[in-house]
Amino acid sequence: MTTSLREPREIVREEPLMQRPILEALADGPLTVPAIAERIGHPAREVVFWVMGMRRFGHVVELPEADDDGYFLYEAFDKGDAS
Amino acid sequence: MKYDVMVVGSGIAGMESSIKLGDMGYKVLLVEKEASVGGRMILLSKVFPTLDCASCISGPKMSSTINHPNVHTMTYAEVEQIRRGEDGRFTAAVKQKSTFVDWAACTGCSDCQMACTVAVPDQFNADLVPRHAAYIPFPQAVPKKAVIERAGTSPCIASCPAGIKAHGYVSLIRSGKYEEAFQLVLEATPLVGTLGRACYAPCESECTRSLLEGTIPIRRLKRFVADLHYGDGRGPGVDVAEANGFKVAIVGTGPAGLTAAWQLARAGYQVTMFDSAAKAGGFLRHAIPQYRLPHDVVDQDVANVTAIGVEIRTNHAVHDLEALKAEGYDAVLVATGTPRSMALGVPGQDATGVHTGLKFLRRVSEDDLPSIAGKRVVVVGGGNVAMDAARTARRLGSADVRVAYRRGREEMPAHSVEVDEAEMEGVAFEFLVAPVEVLSDASGAVTGLRCQRMRLGEADASGRRRPEPVPGSDFVLECEVVVSAVGMEPDDEPYEKVTGDARGHRIKVDPLTLQSDVDYIFAAGDVETGASDITHAVGHGRRAAYMIDAWLHGRELAGFPLFDDPLGVVDHESVLARQQSYTHRAPVRPGTQHSANPVGFDELEPAMTEAEALAGSGSCLDCGVCSECQECVRACPADAIKLDMHDHQVEVEVGAVVVSTGYKLFAADLKPEYGYGQYPNVITGMQMDRLLAPTRPFNTILRPGDGKVPDRIAYISCTGSRDKQVGNPLCSKLCCMYSIKQNQLIMGSLPLADVTMHYMDMRAAGKRYDEFYEQAKDMGATYIKGRVSKVTELENGDLRLRYEDIENGGDIVEAEYDLVVLAVGIQPNRDVERLFTGEKLRLDEYYYVAEPSEELEPGQTTIPGVFVAGTAAGAKDIVDSILHAGAAVAQVAAHLTQSEISEVVPV
Repeated sequence: MTTSLREPREIVREEPLMQRPILEALADGPLTVPAIAERIGHPAREVVFWVMGMRRFGHVVELPEADDDGYFLYEAFDKGDAS
Repeated sequence: MKYDVMVVGSGIAGMESSIKLGDMGYKVLLVEKEASVGGRMILLSKVFPTLDCASCISGPKMSSTINHPNVHTMTYAEVEQIRRGEDGRFTAAVKQKSTFVDWAACTGCSDCQMACTVAVPDQFNADLVPRHAAYIPFPQAVPKKAVIERAGTSPCIASCPAGIKAHGYVSLIRSGKYEEAFQLVLEATPLVGTLGRACYAPCESECTRSLLEGTIPIRRLKRFVADLHYGDGRGPGVDVAEANGFKVAIVGTGPAGLTAAWQLARAGYQVTMFDSAAKAGGFLRHAIPQYRLPHDVVDQDVANVTAIGVEIRTNHAVHDLEALKAEGYDAVLVATGTPRSMALGVPGQDATGVHTGLKFLRRVSEDDLPSIAGKRVVVVGGGNVAMDAARTARRLGSADVRVAYRRGREEMPAHSVEVDEAEMEGVAFEFLVAPVEVLSDASGAVTGLRCQRMRLGEADASGRRRPEPVPGSDFVLECEVVVSAVGMEPDDEPYEKVTGDARGHRIKVDPLTLQSDVDYIFAAGDVETGASDITHAVGHGRRAAYMIDAWLHGRELAGFPLFDDPLGVVDHESVLARQQSYTHRAPVRPGTQHSANPVGFDELEPAMTEAEALAGSGSCLDCGVCSECQECVRACPADAIKLDMHDHQVEVEVGAVVVSTGYKLFAADLKPEYGYGQYPNVITGMQMDRLLAPTRPFNTILRPGDGKVPDRIAYISCTGSRDKQVGNPLCSKLCCMYSIKQNQLIMGSLPLADVTMHYMDMRAAGKRYDEFYEQAKDMGATYIKGRVSKVTELENGDLRLRYEDIENGGDIVEAEYDLVVLAVGIQPNRDVERLFTGEKLRLDEYYYVAEPSEELEPGQTTIPGVFVAGTAAGAKDIVDSILHAGAAVAQVAAHLTQSEISEVVPV
């Protein structure tokens, strides 16, 4: 259960900082948000902000289908494949 | 500028009003505070009841608005005041906010926002995702141009006398761009390693985080990137302009001279530096002890300068500036600092064992000082040189080191850190003590320092209380070494007869242009300011280089924009007010170990680890929003980023005003029983609309708490509407219908999802509205009449709703959902109250713009010539807003025709 939430502005501000740990977590393959959260030791709610920001700015991309629990898998976007 | 009508706000009502008035031949000025027209409608998924794509309808309207021949649109502008004149026309002051992007050049390519290192909540996506400080509002923005959000200059940057963009390199470091951070400092000065160690960091004193748990370690972050860069053995890695044919001589190789040489050489100048010492660096090498600033760091910084072609002639004292001119130098920069120590001015000052502070430190740096091991040392003075001398003496094995200072500790000019560290290293202090005589034995060697006690009298010209002797208080400090560190001054021998002296033997130059009366001679650093510090010298070096460049190229020597025309500094309070709460972050401290018996001159402060650098930089609050890291400047292919822009004000005269300032959404956290802001899976209707829109912030509809696709979604209607508890008894008119719209869209996107709406009354009064409601029921949405009393979060992030089920016996029921959507209502936008001066635009009892004859004269307000369109006058859906805008347009036309104050003849 959530006891206190950090303010979105504070979480969002950390998006540039969190790119590297998230990409490192994805180095071995795609992960769901809860799995990334577990790997990097941050709440899933905060990871949603960071992953969606990274998705927006071209660092990660989702796989086409959600898993049986309703979670999408996200993988590092290989910019070398962008062309 | 004159227009027939000014329309304030470019939502659907503002755009409709502008287009229709333009079609009628009126000249319209449309003012929009955001960087794109379109208001909220463009951000919606679809519109009810037709389920037409909102952007498909709004997009063409936006395009028509901005391209209409009779409509001039000012986006990213704010109306500051409107005043009605005696002739019935209005004058208005409109502030054109700086976009910091040349929109004529900007192609809307997004490269700037991709490169930007500052993230803030995206207001165009209901704060669900980050956007960057460099941003294009949304993909369908019209005009599609970038904006750099700048709240002002960050305090750390504003406080740096060297003009180094501290916020910029901090944001680069947290983004992992270490070399870019090094290069950003290098833009200002070659002394990156030096400043990472020996700077007194005024930036940290001004850091807003210091008002929370402590400053971020700005200086040490600079050292971190310098250590990384130099550790790789790379050269500076900068571009140098093609040679421009000019030659500049720089006398002195301290921080001012090196910085000026760096700037000039990069600009294509052939620069030669001269120094009487055997090695370059000035005070950096000869006055700052190696435990603070190792010589190899100075060497690395100096090598930046020589790497780009600057010649440094050491052991080469310059006595004749005019001779340099005769040798072919087009300009001469004097940057010789303050090499002369002031004498003690007491009898016996020439005894053996008396040193001046600067010579003492220099001889130690050159390993040329006779041993003082076991001797007792008295250092006279309270400045940084005194502290350096005292701490150095401790390292040389002296038996005892005392600092004698004529004022108290609070009045000491030395940096407080230096005083604290001297104390930790066993230096003793004698405050309110002044030397009277140096005592010596028959051989002339020092045996003691006779002193007298002082007391503080009235403040002198410097504002510090003047020390006055206490009669009969003489005493002797027994010692074998006396170090006099009572002041420094320039050596005016090279310039006294050429440029003349200012106070204290300083060179006489214009303080703004740094040019002397001899036009080719400029000066920078302590030789002009008197003893200061490295950052001031660096800043001066930059200014001197700018002025020399301007003078040699025949440009006017006006101000140096970097220092003389900056964007205003952001105040700490406004930064902290951006959040209601802050998470504690442990400050990153250096962990320097101080010994009471220090030995040797190894660097004291440990290097920063990468983890510390990331933790430290990650604490930055982004005070100015934009960090000035220059990544957007580098990324922009059109060279469109212009960070030196300023706001400007435009005055316009208009015949009529249409207020179409729209509404504000109810702040859902004002209903704490529903958990918005406490439970991440409670969102607002606007957030759901963004999740449903084609330009959605997530890859699909996901709950924000963990990214799961929700199966069970509940709506709570009338959140903040029809609710006297929150001060809004009004129905918002559109929440029922937008909820039903979203219900249908969710069922289209997530066919397996269950959608339930908890409502008070279903208000579907409009053409095809009730059919739309029935259609949602037929699709499978469930509608439960009854108020929700409480939302509770479960361990897995699901939400339990407690509600009354009126149509099934009125029982109190609980149900669990994955996601809860609050159908928030709308509220008046009271920003409109400050628009008018001289007379008040009346609001109704609910603070919407009053329409005195709403039934007969819709759109008219209490001020003749001022009309209202859309939701500024009350809750309306899109259809009604457009209708209301039509009414306002008709009123405007009638007013302009009747009063004959139009500038044009309507077609």
